[in-house]
Amino acid sequence: MASIGITAKIPFDRLQENQPMKTDIKDMPILASQFCGMQFDTPLVLLSGCVGFGEEYTRVQGFSNRDVGAVCLKGTTLQPRLGNPLHRLAETPMGMLNSIGLQNPGAEHVVNNILPALDFSETRFIANVSGSTIEEYVTVTRLFDDSPIDAIELNISCPNVKEGGMVFGNDPLMSARVVAACRAVTKKPIITKLSPNQTDIAENARLCLESGSDAFAVINTLMGMAIDTENRTPIIGANQGGLSGAAIKPIALLKVHQVYQVCRHHNIPIIGQGGIMNAEDAIEFMIAGAAAIGVGTALFYDPLVCTKINAGISDYLKQHNIVEISQLIGTLTIN
Amino acid sequence: MHLESASNIKNTHRGTLLVEDAEILSHESLPGQQHVLRLKSPGIARRAQAGQFAHISCGPELAMRRPLSIMRVDKNAGWIEFLYKVFGAGTKLLTQRSVGELISLIGPIGNPFSAHTEKPRTLLIGGGVGIPPMVFLVDSLKQQKINNYKPFVIMGSEVPFPFSPRPSQFIIPGMPDAAIGAMPLMEDWGIPSRLASRQGYPGCFEGYVTDLARCWLNALSRQQQNEVEIFACGPHPMLAAVAKMAVEYSLPCQVSLEEFMACAVGGCAGCVVEVKTSNGPAMKRVCVDGPVFDANTVFPEESR
Ligand SMILES: Cc1cc2nc3c(=O)[nH]c(=O)nc-3n(C[C@H](O)[C@H](O)[C@H](O)COP(=O)(O)O)c2cc1C
Ligand code: FES
Repeated sequence: MASIGITAKIPFDRLQENQPMKTDIKDMPILASQFCGMQFDTPLVLLSGCVGFGEEYTRVQGFSNRDVGAVCLKGTTLQPRLGNPLHRLAETPMGMLNSIGLQNPGAEHVVNNILPALDFSETRFIANVSGSTIEEYVTVTRLFDDSPIDAIELNISCPNVKEGGMVFGNDPLMSARVVAACRAVTKKPIITKLSPNQTDIAENARLCLESGSDAFAVINTLMGMAIDTENRTPIIGANQGGLSGAAIKPIALLKVHQVYQVCRHHNIPIIGQGGIMNAEDAIEFMIAGAAAIGVGTALFYDPLVCTKINAGISDYLKQHNIVEISQLIGTLTIN
Repeated sequence: MHLESASNIKNTHRGTLLVEDAEILSHESLPGQQHVLRLKSPGIARRAQAGQFAHISCGPELAMRRPLSIMRVDKNAGWIEFLYKVFGAGTKLLTQRSVGELISLIGPIGNPFSAHTEKPRTLLIGGGVGIPPMVFLVDSLKQQKINNYKPFVIMGSEVPFPFSPRPSQFIIPGMPDAAIGAMPLMEDWGIPSRLASRQGYPGCFEGYVTDLARCWLNALSRQQQNEVEIFACGPHPMLAAVAKMAVEYSLPCQVSLEEFMACAVGGCAGCVVEVKTSNGPAMKRVCVDGPVFDANTVFPEESR
C-alpha cells in the first residue's frame, strides 16, 4: 500500500530527473512536517484511548500506521488499572460517551513488554501519561523518558477517573505544576492535553507553556450523561462519561482557535482534535491553528478513514496551490 | 527490512479483518421483530468461523456500528447471513435497508468456538439472539465428517421462534413427551434439535433451556456424559445457568458474550468483561479477546 509518507518523497526523486519543480510540487503537496523535532509523515495523529497500544487497528486490512504522523498510546498510570464498571459506552447524537477509566497494564509493563514489539520505523509513538498525584505523573514520565518513546503527552484532562486527570487539568495553576514537574525529568517533547471542561483554556495553555510544555493537544472529551428511561439510571456504569465524535467539533474548533492565540508567538504546535471525521474537518482545524490533526472516534465508524483524510488534504492543498501544510496553519482571517 | 524484524503477532494478527461494502441480497422480516439479512461479502464469507461476528454500519445517521453474530455463510457463493431482532436505534434503521443497497461490514471479528474431537457429543444451547452462532457452529461441525460429531441443539425463545417449529424425525432419549418441536433447518441437515420456551408455544418444552438440557444429560450413560462439550450463546442469565449446569456435570463449556462496542477491533476497551485468570481478575475485551470464553472464567461464582 502506498502511504502518503512515501508519496511525499516523490517530488525530490523527480527533481533529480530534472523535471520542472513548480508543477511537480503542485501535483504532490508535501504532507510531511516536523512536529517538536519529530518527523511526522502525515499530519494525522491517532488519538489516545482509541487505538489501544498501537497494534490493534493493524488487524484491519488496508490500515497502516504509516498513514499517520504519530500514534498516541492508551493512557498509562504507574500501577495497572482494571478501569471502570460496565457499561463503558453509550451512543449519542453524532457522537458517543465513554468511561473506560484508564484501564491499562501499568507503566512498567508498557515500557518492558509493549514498546519493544512496536515498529518505530512506521510512525512516531507518543505515550499518554496519567496520574492521581504529581509524583505519579513524574514517575511515569521518568519511566517513559528511559524508553524509545518519541514524546510524552500529559493527560491532565481525563474526565473518567475520580482523582487526578481533570482535577489537575481544570485548574491552570495545578496544570502548570504537573507540567513543570515532568519537564524537570525529561528532555523528550512534552505535549499537554487540555481539558475543554474549564473556564479559560487559553490561560491554562499560557501557564503550561511557561512551565515548559512543547506542544498542546486540544481538546480532550467533554463531560456528559445518557439516561436509560426504562430503568431511570445512567447508561454509563460510572454515571457520566466523556463525549467525543462529530457532536463536539464546533467546540473543539473554537478551543483550538483560542489556544492558538497563545501559541502562535512561541512557535508551539497544537494537535487539534475533537470530532474530526473527514478532510474538510481536518482543514478547518489547520486553518484555526492546528499543526497536526487528531483522529479518534472517526476510526470506530471507518477504520480506513486516515487514507481518505490524507488524500482529501492533498487535494485541497493542490487546488489552493499550497506546497506544504505549514502554509495553511493558522491562516484564519477573523471578521 | 523492518518488516522482517516484525514480531510474531504481526504475522498472525495484521490484516485479518476486512472492510467490505456488501450488497444486500435478501432481507426478510419474521414475527417478533426479527429479520434475516443476507449480504454479498465474499471476503468475510471465506474467512468466517462459527462464533465470529461482523461490525455493521446500519446507516450514516448513526455514529456507531453494531456488532452482529454471523449465522451462516456460503464460502462458494460468497454470501453471509445474519439474524437480528430490533432492539434499538441501530437495528431499527437496519430494517429500512433494502435489497441492492450496500452496507459496510468489518469482519470476521473475534475468537471462534473451538470444538474438541475427543468430545463428539456437542450440546449447543442458543437463546433468543444467541441462536445465530449456534446455527453456524452446527453447520461447521456437520462439515467435519471425519470427526463424527453428534451435535444436539436446544434453542430457547420468549418471542416467536424465527422459524415454524416442525415435529422432529429424531427420538431423543430423556425428552419430555411434549417436547417434539424442532428447528426445520436442523431437521433438513439431519441434526436433532428441541425447543424450549415459557410462552406455551406448541411442540416446545415449557421451561428453561437448562431444564431440557438436564433431561438430555441425565439420560446419557456416565461414559457418554464424558464425551459432552457445551456451547452456548444467549442472554446473560441463561449463560450463567448454563455455566452452573456445566460445573454440576463437570463438562467443558464455551459461551459467547455480547457487550456494547465502539471499535470492535480491540482499540477502545469499551466492551470488556471481567475474567478470572491465574493472576487474579482481568478485564478482557469481548470483541477481540472473545466473544467466546471458557464459561468458568467469566462465571467463576457459578463454578464454586
Ligand atoms: C474510548 C475512548 C477512550 C479514550 N481514552 C483516552 C485516554 O486514555 N487518554 C486521553 O488522553 N484521551 C482519551 N480519550 C480522548 C481522545 O484521545 C480524544 O481526545 C477525544 O476522543 C476527542 O477526539 P475524537 O472526537 O476524534 O474522538 C479517549 C476517547 C475515547 C473515545
Ligand atoms: S469495542 Fe473497542 S475494544 Fe472492543
